[in-house]
Order: sequence, then structure tokens, then C-alpha cells
Amino acid sequence: MNNEKIIEAKGIIKTYDDSGVPVQAVRGIDYTLTKGEFTAIIGPSGSGKTTFLNVITGLDTPTEGEVWLSGRLLSKMSGNELSDFRRDHIGFIFQAYNLFPVLTVEENVEYIMLLQGVPKEERHNRVMSMLEKVGLADYAQRLPSRLSGGQQQRVAVARAMVSKPSLVIADEPTANLDSKTSGALLDMMRQLNEDTGMTFLFSTHDEIVMRRAKKLVVLTDGKLDGNSPPEEYE
Amino acid sequence: MLSKLAWRNIFRQKRRTVLTLMTMTGGFVLSSLSIGWMNGSYSNIILFFTNSRTGQIQVHHEGYLADPSIYSTIDNFEQVGSILDSIPDVRSWAPRIYTGALLALKPAGHTSNVYSSSAAASVIGIDPAREQEATGFSDQIIEGEMLTSSDADTSLSSTGQILLGKELAITLEASPGDSLILLSQAANGVVADKRYVVVGIVSTGNTQIDRRTSYITLPDAQNLFALEGKAHEIAVLSSTLNEVDNLTAAISGRLSGRNLETDSWKVFAKEFYNGMKADESSLEVMIFIIVLVAAMGVLNTVLMMVLERRREFGVMKAMGTRPGFIVRMIMLEANIMGFISILLGSIISTAGLLLLSKHGIVMDPPLDYGGAVFREMVASISPDCYWIPAICVMLTATIVSCIPALNAAHTKPAKALRTV
Repeated sequence: MNNEKIIEAKGIIKTYDDSGVPVQAVRGIDYTLTKGEFTAIIGPSGSGKTTFLNVITGLDTPTEGEVWLSGRLLSKMSGNELSDFRRDHIGFIFQAYNLFPVLTVEENVEYIMLLQGVPKEERHNRVMSMLEKVGLADYAQRLPSRLSGGQQQRVAVARAMVSKPSLVIADEPTANLDSKTSGALLDMMRQLNEDTGMTFLFSTHDEIVMRRAKKLVVLTDGKLDGNSPPEEYE
Repeated sequence: MLSKLAWRNIFRQKRRTVLTLMTMTGGFVLSSLSIGWMNGSYSNIILFFTNSRTGQIQVHHEGYLADPSIYSTIDNFEQVGSILDSIPDVRSWAPRIYTGALLALKPAGHTSNVYSSSAAASVIGIDPAREQEATGFSDQIIEGEMLTSSDADTSLSSTGQILLGKELAITLEASPGDSLILLSQAANGVVADKRYVVVGIVSTGNTQIDRRTSYITLPDAQNLFALEGKAHEIAVLSSTLNEVDNLTAAISGRLSGRNLETDSWKVFAKEFYNGMKADESSLEVMIFIIVLVAAMGVLNTVLMMVLERRREFGVMKAMGTRPGFIVRMIMLEANIMGFISILLGSIISTAGLLLLSKHGIVMDPPLDYGGAVFREMVASISPDCYWIPAICVMLTATIVSCIPALNAAHTKPAKALRTV
């Protein structure tokens, strides 16, 4: 692991005011994520994990503070620049899979490469190779609705990683999976992290994820409550 | 990928898509049938007016239309006629003299100089043979017979033949066989009077015309009104109604330098033409209302589509999809539905228009349009029936989907991902 900063967040505060009553979800966080990390942000429900992930990836704007992504200040990027940055550098895995229901497994996985303009043959090869890795090569032409929850999440993992992003953000990736499927999925991601140096940042309160993470970051009531290796947390 | 996504998204909610397609197709069909019906009706009316009486094109002495005068004549009309004969699209032509007179009726059997009734009337001098060829004039004679040949004795001392419009005959209480005296003033200033025998009653279908018109032969009129070799008007019948403007220009070109003016029916029947244009405006309003109703249906569908897929748009944006891609996708979805509606609508409209063009709708009571009575109206099929509704449907789909598409494109990913 080197010390190249992927994410640097300074003084992040996020306040929601949707219902007229201000609610502070993130209360002044300074955080740095370096290349090659396999880190899990942990904390109870409502502790601000998802909000923090959204802010540091540009899916949401902070009320206060600055976020630097690979050396670029988020607030200075235009909408299209931000889109392009996420397309080329960040892979997302969501709790609810969020596959496109009208696209087949293969089409779902190749979607980002289509946006990137990767040639058709290369797209196909990379998609099939990734589907082999997640054990779904035989399901390439199926629609997501004909897959189990675990299979759908594996497609989501394949989709997030096929374009070889420098950072994979996974928000509660195992929340809807059984322990066996979760373990297998996490092992696969950890292997990718070891093999390619791809950086992973999870938000979770699942012990299976915590056990496999190289580093844990504890978030409580919107504040960082220290970070440590998982064995120390236990 | 864009078109693949758009195409498949359309069929995610099949029932709603079918309802939307029905709305758009319905709008197309209604607009198409309205245009076909209106065009067909107007074609009927125009043909009726021009074929049976006025011709589609008329040649006059310069200024005659603005200020009709007995002195504004086409001199040597036969020569003009021979030029017209050499123009390919001229189907036929008929010369006419127009003037006014007082008609006094002397009922059949009365020998004394007692006149039972009188009426002011316009007198039209016609060439029976040419008029028959051009307008099928004899078909309008409902009682009695057509004027005999133009070669008949036209001297002022002889008894001429006259046809009376139906309502004029009623006013005069005249019937075939009755005699009348025509009293007027000739172009040379002398009194023009001559005895005539009513040979027939004419019904043009236009009561206003039949109330004030009588017909004598052209040579008779030329002799009576001192207009030898002259005519006031040459009515020209065209082979095709659609080419009238081009033919008018062609005739005008060939007759240039003769102090003559050539006008199409749109000019010499200006009031009728303007009335028709006004009716076209009401058609435009009707089409606008139809399109508006269809647009509401499409708007509802697109809004629902966008609302239901908000989370999906959030995912797309999170993955790095540019807003423009989402805008194009949603607008493409609406336009694909528009295109399908046009295809379906064209098939249904063609069937409807074919039916209405073969079996018109019987007007009960008959439609009175400017004095002309129509008992059956038929539709006509033209490109207008397709391209106007097609443009309306595509424009509606595009405009209506614009705002929801922009809205979807500016979805905030974090907020959208929180929606269930």
C-alpha cells in the first residue's frame, strides 16, 4: 500500500433540512483514504455512514467542508466533470443491487464501459471475464429479475469492478445476503484488492465485512470515533 | 445502448404504454380524418362552384373584376380562345357576356300588350355548345330545354330564346312557352329591347344566382348589346384542380400584352375563398384541441415514468451517466411511442379515409354553403392527412417529454437513492 490519497475530506458537515427541521447527519469529519485500502466504515443505523459516503464521492454536496478526490476539489468540478470522474474512477455497489431491470446481466455489466466508449469486442471480453470471476458467466443473457438476491449482488460487484476503477464504494453490500454468499463475495473483493491494488471502502454493520476489512473506521452520531484494525475493534 | 434502453423501458409498463399509444393514435386518427373530411368537403364545394359555373380560371379585360362594366370587353375573344386551346392543361373554355336588364312577362296566350309581372335580372350571354362542354350546362335545366344553336336568327325583330333561373321564374310566374320582353341599354347607348320566349328553367343549386339570372345565346347578346365579336369573360376549366395556380400563371404569360387579366377562383371568388380559409382556421383550432388532449395523456405517462424510475436515474448518475444521456433517453422513449402511434394511426386513418371517400356522409338536412346545397359530403386522401398529424404527434411527444426529461436528468443521486 502506498500513501497516494484517493479521498481527502476536511471538516465535512452535512445538514438535511428536508422537513423544515435541520438534522445534522455528519458533524465535522476529517478523513483520508489512501490507495489500496480495504476499509469498512462501521456504525449503527443512522450514524451517518451512507451520508458520509455520498458526500465523499460527490453524490451529495457537503453543507460545509471540502472533499478532494484524487487531488481534485469536488466543489470546483462541473456536473459533467463530476459524472465523468465517477464513471472513470469510482465503482458503486449498492445495498439494493440497483441493477437496470430492462438490461440483461451482460448489458448491466457493460453499461459503464459503453459510457466510456470501450470497443465492443473488448467490452464483451471484459464482461465475460468478470462474470466468470463472480461465477455468473452462464447467466449473461438473463434479466436481473430471474436471479436470486446473491446473484444480483454479484452482478452489481461485477458491474462496479469491470471498468477497473481506482476506488470501489460499497454501501451495505451484504445487507440482503445470507452469510455464506456474503463471505464468498467479500473474499472475492479482498482477493481483487490484493491482486490489483484496487481500493475498497465499505459502509456496514455486518460482522462478516468487518472481519475481512483491513481497517475499520467507526462512525457514531455523525462523528468519527477513531479507526483501527479489525482485531482491535473486536 | 440509448435506443435499447429507451425501447425496453417503453414496455416496462405494458398497460400504460398501450393506453398512451391509444391516446396518441386516437389524436392522430381524429386529426387525419378531420383534415381529410375538410379537404374532401372543400374539394367538393370548389369543384361544384367552378365546374358548374365559374370555371377554375377566368380571363377578363383588365380592371373588369374590380369594376364590371359593359365596356370592359375581351375583344376578338375567338383569338384568345385559340390561344387557350393550345395550352395543354386547359380542358375547355366558355365565353360569356354579362349585363343587366328588366324582364317583363307576357303570359302564353295573351296577345295584348299586357305584362303580368316584371323583374330586374342579370343577363348572361352564353355559347350553348361551349358552355355545355365546359360546365355541362344542360344538366342544370330542370324544365324545358337548352338554348338552341348559336347560329339562330339574332336580329332584334326576331323572337329570341331565354332561360330563367328557377327563383326568377317563380318571381315572374313564368314557365316554358311564356313570352317576355327584355329591356336594357346597349354598349352604344341605344335602348336594347327584344322579345323572348322562355325555353327552359335553370337550377344551378345556388338559389342566390337562380333568383336573378337569365341566359340568352352569346350571338344574341352580342347583337342586342352592340358587342359584336366581344365577350366580358372567358371561363377556363382546368384538367386538374391542384394545378390551377400554375395554369393561371401559364395563361397569364401567354396572354400578356393584351390588356387582359387572368385570375384563379381564389381571386374572382375571393369571398368564398376567404370563407374557406376562415373555416380552415376552425379546423386548426379543432386539431389543436385534439393534440392538447393527446398531449395531456403523454405528459401523464412521461411524468409517471420519470417518477417511478427516479431511483434508477440516481443510480445512472452515480455511475457516471451524463445528464444529457438521460434527457435523450426519455425524449427518445416518448418519440418512439409517437412513431408507433403514427404508424398505427396511418393504417387506421387510411381505412377510415378510404371508407369516407367512397361512402360519403349524407347531410340531413342538406348543407347550404353560399347558396349551394350539398346532400352528401365525402373525404379526400392527401399527404396533408398524414404529415400534419405526424408532425403534431412528434412535436407533442418532444415538447411534453422535455420538462420531465430535464427533471430526471437533474436528479440528485443521493436523494434519488434514498427513495424506495
